[in-house]
Amino acid sequence: MGKDDDDRDPSRGISRRGFITTVGAGAIGAATIGRAVAAPPPEVVAHGEPAPLTLRVNGRAHRVLVEPRWTLLFVLREQLGLTGTKVGCERGECGACTVLIDGQPRYACMTLAVEAKGCEITTVEGLMHGEELGPVQQAFVAEDAFQCGYCTPGQVMAAEGLLRANPAPTPEQIRLGMSGNLCRCGAYDHIVRAVERAAAVRRTGGGR
Amino acid sequence: MLPNFSYVRPATLAAAIEQLAAAGSRVHAGGTDLLGCLRDEVFGADKLVAIGGLAELKGIAPSADGGLRIGALVTLAEIAASREIASRYPALAQGAAAAASPQLRNQGTLGGNLCQRPRCWYFRGQFHCARKGGEKCFAVEGENQFHCVFGGEVCFIVHPSDTAPALVALDALFRIAGPGGSRLVPAAKFFVLPGVDYTRENVLRPGEILTDVVLPAPPPGARGGYRKVRARGAWDFALGGAAVTAEIAAGQVKQARIVLSGAAPAPWRVPEAERTLVGSPLDAASVARAAEAAVRGAQPLSANAYKVDLLRGVVEEALLALV
Amino acid sequence: MKDPGTTLVEGALPPSAAGAEQPEPWGKTTVVGTRQPRIDGYDRVSGKAVYPSDVILPDMLFGAILRCPHPHATVKKAVTAKAEAMPGVRAVISGASPAADVDWHYDPKLATKLFDPRCRFEGEAVAAVAAETPQQAWDAARAIEVEYEVLPFVADERRALDPAAPRIHDGGNRFDEPDRYRRGDPDAGFAAADKVVELSFHTAAELHTPMELHGCVARWDGARLTLWESTQGVYPVQQRVAATLDLPLSSVRVIGHYMGGGFGSKLQADKYDIVAAVLAKVTARPVKLFLTREETLLCVGNRPPSTMRVRIGAKKDGTLTAVEFTGLGASGAYPAGGAALLDWLARDLYACPNVRCETTDVAINAGPARPFRAPGHPQGAWALEQAIDALAEALAIDPLELRLKNLTTVSQTRPGAPPFTSTGLRRCLVEGAAAFGWAQARGRARSEGVVRRGVGMAAGMWVAGGGGPPSTVVVKLFADGSANLNMGASDIGTGTRTVMAMVVAEELGTPLDRIQVENADTGTTQYATASGGSKTVPTEAPAVRAAALAVKRQLLAIAGDELKLPPSELRIEGDAVVSVRDPKLKRKIAEMQGFRRRGVLVGVGVRGPNPEGKVVNPFAAQFCEVEVNTRTGEVRVLRFLSANESGRVMNRLTYDSQVIGGVTMGIGLALTEERVLDRQTGKMANRNWHDYKIPTALDVPTEIVSLPIDAPDAEANSAGAKGLGEPVTIPTAAAVANAVHDAVGVRVTESPISPMRLLGLLAERRKRG
Repeated sequence: MGKDDDDRDPSRGISRRGFITTVGAGAIGAATIGRAVAAPPPEVVAHGEPAPLTLRVNGRAHRVLVEPRWTLLFVLREQLGLTGTKVGCERGECGACTVLIDGQPRYACMTLAVEAKGCEITTVEGLMHGEELGPVQQAFVAEDAFQCGYCTPGQVMAAEGLLRANPAPTPEQIRLGMSGNLCRCGAYDHIVRAVERAAAVRRTGGGR
Repeated sequence: MLPNFSYVRPATLAAAIEQLAAAGSRVHAGGTDLLGCLRDEVFGADKLVAIGGLAELKGIAPSADGGLRIGALVTLAEIAASREIASRYPALAQGAAAAASPQLRNQGTLGGNLCQRPRCWYFRGQFHCARKGGEKCFAVEGENQFHCVFGGEVCFIVHPSDTAPALVALDALFRIAGPGGSRLVPAAKFFVLPGVDYTRENVLRPGEILTDVVLPAPPPGARGGYRKVRARGAWDFALGGAAVTAEIAAGQVKQARIVLSGAAPAPWRVPEAERTLVGSPLDAASVARAAEAAVRGAQPLSANAYKVDLLRGVVEEALLALV
Repeated sequence: MKDPGTTLVEGALPPSAAGAEQPEPWGKTTVVGTRQPRIDGYDRVSGKAVYPSDVILPDMLFGAILRCPHPHATVKKAVTAKAEAMPGVRAVISGASPAADVDWHYDPKLATKLFDPRCRFEGEAVAAVAAETPQQAWDAARAIEVEYEVLPFVADERRALDPAAPRIHDGGNRFDEPDRYRRGDPDAGFAAADKVVELSFHTAAELHTPMELHGCVARWDGARLTLWESTQGVYPVQQRVAATLDLPLSSVRVIGHYMGGGFGSKLQADKYDIVAAVLAKVTARPVKLFLTREETLLCVGNRPPSTMRVRIGAKKDGTLTAVEFTGLGASGAYPAGGAALLDWLARDLYACPNVRCETTDVAINAGPARPFRAPGHPQGAWALEQAIDALAEALAIDPLELRLKNLTTVSQTRPGAPPFTSTGLRRCLVEGAAAFGWAQARGRARSEGVVRRGVGMAAGMWVAGGGGPPSTVVVKLFADGSANLNMGASDIGTGTRTVMAMVVAEELGTPLDRIQVENADTGTTQYATASGGSKTVPTEAPAVRAAALAVKRQLLAIAGDELKLPPSELRIEGDAVVSVRDPKLKRKIAEMQGFRRRGVLVGVGVRGPNPEGKVVNPFAAQFCEVEVNTRTGEVRVLRFLSANESGRVMNRLTYDSQVIGGVTMGIGLALTEERVLDRQTGKMANRNWHDYKIPTALDVPTEIVSLPIDAPDAEANSAGAKGLGEPVTIPTAAAVANAVHDAVGVRVTESPISPMRLLGLLAERRKRG
């Protein structure tokens, strides 16, 4: 790396000799500093102190007390009792806790609950229409896209997120889109089929 | 399990920098690397300064000189999905798309990808290694199949980022904000080799935040790409990879950049290999010469000699993809 | 000799259930054998299924276990005062706590404690905490001050028997004498061979890592303990916990209605059960104790690393004349069958009169092994099936032909060489090869380019898979014709609930959506052994059949009374009982007054004995095509076909799921999975799912074909089914390795076939020229 930057174009204003060029506070902008005067004070959630937080989950607002270090996963499961979202690794390495945050699949274990403030969170429970399964869920049952079923809510949420962003994915796009969810039972082949089926159902307006 | 910390959400960048002045403070953007480090006790944190809401660190926008400015909070998914980046800076788009997993790309930011801590299993594990203030690098006599073949000294990590090699190849500038104002650093100068300081991977000083990445306008005839080899289809960091750019005029390479990932403690540019291409057409012979030059001087450890072949191969593949 | 097919995975030989009436084999079936979505699919995809880790009880605490960070150490002192004073902490227990002074025997011959001062593997339990939140429990666990005397360790099983290796147990690092087997005259066999191949192999330790973490929720009601446990068998957990805590079986209830995968690692109780029970006792509150992912990689089992050497001799025409197999496996810190069944395929898969095997189980300072999906077999197949491939090459015979040449219909290694009830291997090979297009693929011109393709195949069998007694099942028919099935067996993801409901539906005509299954609860369901060893269907399905038929007899008797017809002239048709002679003579089940008065008909079924003098084993043959990038060492499996003969196909849909799952897991063994123990410290370097790499959706072929050889085995049991879950994964890794060899001419004898290993081998070959 960087052993050889003799060919760097001097017209960019980067000093040949200089290791670092300071451009002064102006760059991040007078704007920020100007705003800082009127800016509200930072929100602080103190160490070890549960603080009130409103989470919007599946269209409902939940007022909960959370500690800063509590993950969204922990709060969903152990505080709100929404145990459809599963715990697999708590390290962002398996996808069992996948939920939609503002429509995008993300790992609830790698998201602090305080960070989810103001976001619309959708869990597997939120895909149900009353007691009726949503189209992705129906497709997973029809294609037997699971075995032990423990990774399944996360797989379903990843598929839901994928189809919301791309209603007609190719098989390769499905594999890519589902690659952030481990299934130790090895149901991937059927999972891909289920996502294809769900895409077809959604396109024809089936399953609501 | 995460240790205890307090959480602060400043409303402005200036306020965030103020908050970071306290010892034990850490920047929280996407959090995908930070929370893992805290869980593994790689380092502690008394206070997380959450910058995810700062509008000034977001967005992809053209710059005045025809280049592009990408806020540090832009997610990897946004970069991978950007048509503009895919067409003008394909190496970066491909690097972002090759990182982590879909969910992590939806959450992880460009800034975080560039500033993430190494993935060395000794550094992340219960080993008091040199980078964490210990006596030695465990990789030297240990399980070093994933470690570096270039640039190792005291510590033998590889830099984990897939976007960093692309940004070095693209001559990007990184804007850093801190208590003293802001400064621009060329991508290649952002990363720090262990010979300079083996306790950090970049030039960020305590209290500083990487705020933007500025890309120059690509020269006419520019091509580029990123090829990554990993042990597994998702999540995995590069065993070896190559970000390449080439400016081709009248069938000949005018200028080229080759930057390796998975090879060194920092994105590893191989100027000698780049020079072999200049003035030649991009073909099998010139590519093979460049690939050979790219791995010259590699110093494998006991279990990673394969990386020399792998990096040679990946450079060939990355360059051939430009033909 | 006890049959290893029974003793290893199925517990001690059960008492004979002879005398219980066993029905005739099915003729044509109408429900069994069809494609049926799971009856509990709704629960699982909706998130409503309450897995043990989902259980939340009032006033519940969270537990955490402090584990030894060294592979070998003695705990000198554990000071808990600081931890006890921390916020939210309700109990801290260690080896010094009277409440935790409990014996925990890894092996009957070795006296060890729950918190034993001698820690023989990284991750051994040292102390534990219960607190109001899991975060507080972990804060406190980390605050326990432990003084360790660190002892020398041995982490590599290949060094365990060095005279200089540190001793893990007083008796040394070999748990037992090597297991030796011989038949015929191997030396004469090799002397008579035209060709002999000899190869050495190694497979890395593979970790189960089911998606649901290991753990339980423990609650006491006075002297009675209830455990909600993620387990493959509620009864084995009950037995171990009751024995350890000296409680009557009736005082320990284990519930595991759902469980998120086990693959053999959840066949037994674990220390965490006792820890949770003790914490719940001392706090007088329920305790939830689930391990972290990192802990599950360290201390709840593994497929042991295996070092193997195979020598095979054959005549020019391919007839095997001798097989010799030497294997070394590592149980880990305590005896756990580290070399068990490594040699089984060498002994029993192919016809050969002269065989010599020796396997040795050694101790290393690592977590004890546990049965892992076909213990010993995938490793043995990795060695034997690659050696067969090498032999075929040496003889210039197609690998398919070589295998077909050496088939057998008897179990040569068992005393008296008893016949198999059915031997589908020939059909698996022939029909699998045809469906895969083996001949065309083999005949195709080889590419000499950068990216090369190759095809490979391998065969296998599973030592068990016939199931057997004991099992008791109760079927209840309600007066409206709907039914309840009560059985102790866990559904570990294989579709047991659904398959058993299909058996009830077959016999009673009850629609699947009107059958409720209650299972895996020692308090309310009948006795069953753990779900493992590919024995759940062949064990439980006959018992369910028997129970359903017991109900049917009662139903026909009632209908006979009401219709004034002998029951022998009646059959069930839909929701009614009708005369076989005159379909107009019928009575709706819901309208039978005799039934109404009884309220419910109860049928009890037990599993009958297995056939005398015969062996029930399933067979498999697998074929795959790979693409190898010789520049980068990347291997992609392009397509895969698995032909399985497991007797009757019970549910085609869940059958296919098991097949693709087994293949996927085998691809992990072949390409990515490997436990790495740091040679300097003995500590596990890759204790997470990023560094321990199980396959993702991008690592499996886009085409995995399941080709069932649907051959009901009338002799095996009344369902005609044999086990499937294990045979599906046995040949997989070897098939991939053979395909890689076909593609690039390099034989990868050590798993996994990673870019690093493959590039190293390709470079060596270039050097040799």
